[in-house]
Amino acid sequence: MALTETRPETPAPSPVGATPITVDGLLGTGDHKTIGRLFIGGGLIGLVGGLIVGIAAIFYANNYDDLAAASIDYLPQVWSLSRDLVLLGGLVPILVGLAVYLVPLQIGAPSLAFPRGAAAALWTWYLGTALLILAYVFNGGPGGGRRDFVVLWAAALAMMVGSLVWAMVCIATTALGARTHGMTLERVPHTTWGFLVFSIVGVLSLPIMMAELLLAFVRIRYLHLPIDQSASLTAVTDGVSLPPALYWIGIPVLAMAADIIGVHTGRPVRFHRSILVVIGLFGVLSYGADVVGLGSVRGVDFENGLLVFGLLAAVVPVLAVLALTGDSIRAGAFVPRTALVGALLSGLLLLAATVVALLGLVEPIMGFLDELFPDSIDMTNSLVLNGTRFHEGIRALVVGAALVAAIAALHHWSVKIWGRRLAESLGFVSILAAAGGAVLLAAGEVAAGVDDQPWLPVRATDDYPAGLAAISLIGAAVLAAGGLVLAADMAMSLLGRKPAGSSPTEWRGSTLEWATPSPPPVGNFPAAPIVTSANPLADGELRYADGTAWAGDGSSADDADQPVAVEAGEEAR
Amino acid sequence: MTDVTPYEYIPAVVPPPEPARPRLLLLATSLVSVAVGMGFMGLIGHYVSERAVVIAAGERWLPDGVVIPLTQPNFMGLTLAFSVITIWWSVAAIKNDDRPNAFIAFAVTLVFGFAFLAQTAYLFTIMQLEILTSERSALIYAIIGAHMVITAIAMGFAAVMALRTLGGDYSSRDYEGVLCSALFWTMMVALYGVMWYAIYITK
Repeated sequence: MALTETRPETPAPSPVGATPITVDGLLGTGDHKTIGRLFIGGGLIGLVGGLIVGIAAIFYANNYDDLAAASIDYLPQVWSLSRDLVLLGGLVPILVGLAVYLVPLQIGAPSLAFPRGAAAALWTWYLGTALLILAYVFNGGPGGGRRDFVVLWAAALAMMVGSLVWAMVCIATTALGARTHGMTLERVPHTTWGFLVFSIVGVLSLPIMMAELLLAFVRIRYLHLPIDQSASLTAVTDGVSLPPALYWIGIPVLAMAADIIGVHTGRPVRFHRSILVVIGLFGVLSYGADVVGLGSVRGVDFENGLLVFGLLAAVVPVLAVLALTGDSIRAGAFVPRTALVGALLSGLLLLAATVVALLGLVEPIMGFLDELFPDSIDMTNSLVLNGTRFHEGIRALVVGAALVAAIAALHHWSVKIWGRRLAESLGFVSILAAAGGAVLLAAGEVAAGVDDQPWLPVRATDDYPAGLAAISLIGAAVLAAGGLVLAADMAMSLLGRKPAGSSPTEWRGSTLEWATPSPPPVGNFPAAPIVTSANPLADGELRYADGTAWAGDGSSADDADQPVAVEAGEEAR
Repeated sequence: MTDVTPYEYIPAVVPPPEPARPRLLLLATSLVSVAVGMGFMGLIGHYVSERAVVIAAGERWLPDGVVIPLTQPNFMGLTLAFSVITIWWSVAAIKNDDRPNAFIAFAVTLVFGFAFLAQTAYLFTIMQLEILTSERSALIYAIIGAHMVITAIAMGFAAVMALRTLGGDYSSRDYEGVLCSALFWTMMVALYGVMWYAIYITK
């Protein structure tokens, strides 16, 4: 039968920048996509700043002679600023931004639950971050010399943490309560599941840090803490920056890696539910082991048996996810793209972090054996790493894993987020720099720990070998370079590159966000999708609640000129 | 006469309705309640551990001359216990579309909340605990102050839900907001129970 009717004109997806961006439009936005982009952009600036300050922290910590002569010791402030910015001003907001953007798309929801609440969280976080930097600039923060600005530091950090908790409440509520037809919890994509676990663990653990900040505020405000002892306030953020609690930011790393590997190899990960279980287990271990450490002395309490168990067990879920995704790599096509290589590297870095952390268990295990067999174990040569710069080595690996995962995720979903692709060459440079820098920094810091150098913010001793100091310093610089290249890549892509168009990538996922135009319109979907499996686009028969069917990249049911969901790996084979 | 039976008007495949999105507020309130509870328990944990260290060193926990009477905290607890009944009375009333009783329940709950705050302020005056005298007193004020803030938030939440009920937003078909208000209020009272034991009873 001849087709006599012309197809209705469907509005082209409007890329970012096509519509004028106004200040009131940004400030008053309730669109989860805009909120997610702003979280990612702000987080990236904070992350790069934190990594650059981190170079200075390593520099100060290495006790160079000229700095040792300096009358003022900036190390606690510089180190604390770096740690605050990298975690709460950088990586966590980037992950929250990705979650705010992706979770509604992946579960078939038209928007985030409480979008205005998420917008409030976004602007409160920006304000808190600005006040935090202001506090440090005016000699506040841990180790600061001006009481008012030390107080401001506590208030600003509490604002940042509180806003992130509220954003996580919005994310978890969306994932739990706004799923579309047929999207049961066992069918949600790995990324959404990872962000759900990440958010719940954050909601459970970050308020404890807020309590510590409140106490710090009261202590410093009401003169109970002498200002010359304010460096002790660095302990406030220990709760989220030491393993196993630090593994919390590794939860979405694993989840995104599983999704990305499944897409880029053309073989969606076969053991969907198993991966959901092990990601949940990773969250439970990171949180549970942290909780049982509460009330102990600050720092990792290696005398706590459950904490020891948590550290030991944390290796298992990471290994399991890598093993389960390995099936896709083995059976699918390995196309060496930034996203795929980054996903793999991030998983391996996280595995390295959990394995290296086991070195810290030598001491308590030897102690335990010494109690059992007091005459046969010689404890004098036991490896004692608790309280040394060894902790910084683990942190470098986890931060590196999260940064590499963020780079991979931004490359994977860049067309969905901005309608533009990021440059593959710059992507490889940033991933290799971030991973290489993290490994170098970790190697230097673990070696410093073995050399019995005290944990920051205490300076290294006079006999600290210059070679080890150089390894750490170079590692920190290369890691920061990775962040800088990513920022440059994004800036060039947003400002200089044309929109990717209607068929923007060689890869196409099987989860719901790939059924939308790039970037998705307001409301995301023409109607609520009806999901019948964990990979709803794999068979290309996705239907909507209004009776129409998805038949390509766009949201229109008749958009048949777009290729049906075909995996790159399938084409390659 | 047509030969089309009525059954042919019924389409074979009926599009499903839009996914029901109830309970979003309930989910969010539950998560926020958990977060607030964790933060408050973190404060209590610090209090208990620091107190244990001081007592283990053979010192007295409360500064000299400071006495925390039991009468006030007990009556405060009693006030909040009554408020739990009244806040759930508002839920039961709105479930039965009994708006007058729902408004009375909200109003009485808010009065109990104000009474609790007033009693706490009075307790501050009779405790004679100077915030500047010691770090312990600052810790006690931080915990009690945090609970007062949580109480004020719970009162604000209840007031907003009362106004929305007044505006006709809630009825027996949808009373999620009222339920959430009751949930948060109950969590606040439970936290007072923990504080009552940790600070006022054990001192």
